[in-house]
Amino acid sequence: MMSLVGLLHSLRRSLLHLEGKLLQSAGFDGHLAPALALNGPRLQLQPQQDEHLDEEQQSPEQPPGILDNIMWMAAPKKRRSIEINRTRRRAVEKLIKVKDNVVPCLECGHLKQKHVLCGFCYEKVRRETSLIRIQINAQEGGPLKAPATETVVLYEGEMPGDQDQDKRIVERARKRPTWFT
Amino acid sequence: MATACTGRGLSFLRSLTRHVRGTALSGRPPAGLHTSAALEVNKNWERRNLQLYPPQLPGEPRRAAEVHHCRRQIKYSKDKMWYLAKMIRGLSIDQAITQLEFNDKKGAKIVKEVLLEAQDMAVKNHNVEYKSNLYIAESHSGKGKYLKRIRYHGRGMFGIMDKVYCHYFVKLVEGPPPAAEPRTGLDQAQEYLLGLRSRTVRHSL
Repeated sequence: MMSLVGLLHSLRRSLLHLEGKLLQSAGFDGHLAPALALNGPRLQLQPQQDEHLDEEQQSPEQPPGILDNIMWMAAPKKRRSIEINRTRRRAVEKLIKVKDNVVPCLECGHLKQKHVLCGFCYEKVRRETSLIRIQINAQEGGPLKAPATETVVLYEGEMPGDQDQDKRIVERARKRPTWFT
Repeated sequence: MATACTGRGLSFLRSLTRHVRGTALSGRPPAGLHTSAALEVNKNWERRNLQLYPPQLPGEPRRAAEVHHCRRQIKYSKDKMWYLAKMIRGLSIDQAITQLEFNDKKGAKIVKEVLLEAQDMAVKNHNVEYKSNLYIAESHSGKGKYLKRIRYHGRGMFGIMDKVYCHYFVKLVEGPPPAAEPRTGLDQAQEYLLGLRSRTVRHSL
């Protein structure tokens, strides 16, 4: 925390500096105000004065602190009224758009988006898959014991076919679901 | 009888009568008794369902059935809930449920539950024949009772953080949704002028 004296000094410096800048921008040929070395952008309007600043007026004082820096933080000037706020929050682009790409699923009849899988059908398949996986885990008995062959799932009353000779058989004790071809 | 004359007896009788008066009123505390903020909620939206109309005359057009439903103290922001409420205004109930099902916001799930509850209430209690023959007449969100917490900043500064809650209100009316008339900018301007012209200057000469 700055001492009171230091605070007063920096306030005085910043006020003088502001005064000088105002006079310069008003068009005054002023070397009246003390010019300090700034961290901000140089003024483009009067190139002659810049040279003068560089050569002659080196500030003997301390380098400018945060309070003297012209690049101070932006702050709102006025409170935004509720009308302004409402027009911004309720603008058409911020409202939620009504979707028109929702169609019923041909398999189950639940609603789905056109480019997305039906959630109900996916859940149904996921459940059966998890039961098959439980069966596989029971057969393998532990981690990292998967055989290096393909797997085929057989339901009740099904015999392995010609193509299933070299495959690992996983049996499920229920009839084959209609969607599992 | 003899105790009624003493001070303690009188105060005992007074406390009895206060208790009796308190139970006679339906749920509201007796006037003059200070209660905490948590008890001072108003249930006006729920009370709208209790309104009874007189029986309709034979020639009158049939009054459409209405259901008012709400959910209180939802852990969500009223401003965020407003967008969902605005989206479903004027839609039929099936359309509204469809839109909410495919919306990713947290409030969408809650609003969908409220709509399904209201639809169920309409069919069971409010003499609605077809559950799809409903549309959303009114739908808005309101501010609930907030909890306050401390948010610590640097340099010993702190802010008071609000844990926001909101209410959601919906009114379903029986029938097909009314066709929305598009209001152009010209219509709005004309309405504004009409409003300005119909002002009365009071206490003028």
